[in-house]
Amino acid sequence: MKKEMLDILCCPTCKGDLELEIKKEDEGEIIEGSFTCKKCNCTYSIDEGIPNLLPK
Amino acid sequence: MKDKDVKKIVKDSYSEIAKKSGNGGSCGCCGSQSEIDIAKSIGYSDEEIATASEANLGLGCGNPTALANLNPGDIVLDLGSGAGFDAFLAAKKVGESGKVIGVDMTDEMIGKAREIAKRYGYKNVEFRLGDIDNLPIESESISVIISNCVINLAPDKLKVFKEAYRVLTKNGRMYVSDIVLLGKLSEEQKNNAELIAGCVGGAMLKDDYLKAITGAGFKYRILDEDTDISNRQYQGINLESLKVELYK
Repeated sequence: MKKEMLDILCCPTCKGDLELEIKKEDEGEIIEGSFTCKKCNCTYSIDEGIPNLLPK
Repeated sequence: MKDKDVKKIVKDSYSEIAKKSGNGGSCGCCGSQSEIDIAKSIGYSDEEIATASEANLGLGCGNPTALANLNPGDIVLDLGSGAGFDAFLAAKKVGESGKVIGVDMTDEMIGKAREIAKRYGYKNVEFRLGDIDNLPIESESISVIISNCVINLAPDKLKVFKEAYRVLTKNGRMYVSDIVLLGKLSEEQKNNAELIAGCVGGAMLKDDYLKAITGAGFKYRILDEDTDISNRQYQGINLESLKVELYK
């Protein structure tokens, strides 16, 4: 996923803002990383460029 | 049947369809029709089919991007984006200044959609693994929602419409093509896994579906009703494909 898409994402569980941690990036695209919800602390992974935002 | 059991049936079934696709696989409901025949019969042009042929798995029941009058710059959300067919068509229409986000709960579908996006260089489309009744999307951030033959699969349709209402901007619109029932199903039919995955078992009666739409706060306008789809794809079960525009 691209960083600029972050502003329209939120936590699926509590709708809080997400904090992004990038582990691997390629040409502006986040390949591996994770999101942590600033409100409920749920974490969501980004694997092979795909954010897994299924609710916890 | 419990909501989580319904979701598992749908997930497993569509995961299998994604794995088999490209080998003539399609949903259990559509008999021997090919993906191209189905796409044509529900309103896609030859050009649209050719544009994103690998993403067309023959799983829709209408052509919501054609209904949606998308404009350059629109931020589009596709609920239940599958392999991305409608999302890619929308991406062409919204151009570089627009964005398309596809949400689907099936890993294999999202993987396939991303692979196609990468192969064909779509820069303005992204896919997320997510639930359409618990969207990972900010409130009032989307200008147009499209959804093609998916909401019937969700156990809680009112919740799906409420989430859609939440994420749409004030002037946002939603275009849904979905299977609705025109007569009640038997309990046996409702619990039949193949019918659930085939867009029938979990479908709502048309009046109840429209009530769920208004219950979420939406106003609506029915754009088209395809009753012939019952004979083409659903062995004469009393249902139709409803195309409806929703607005706040």
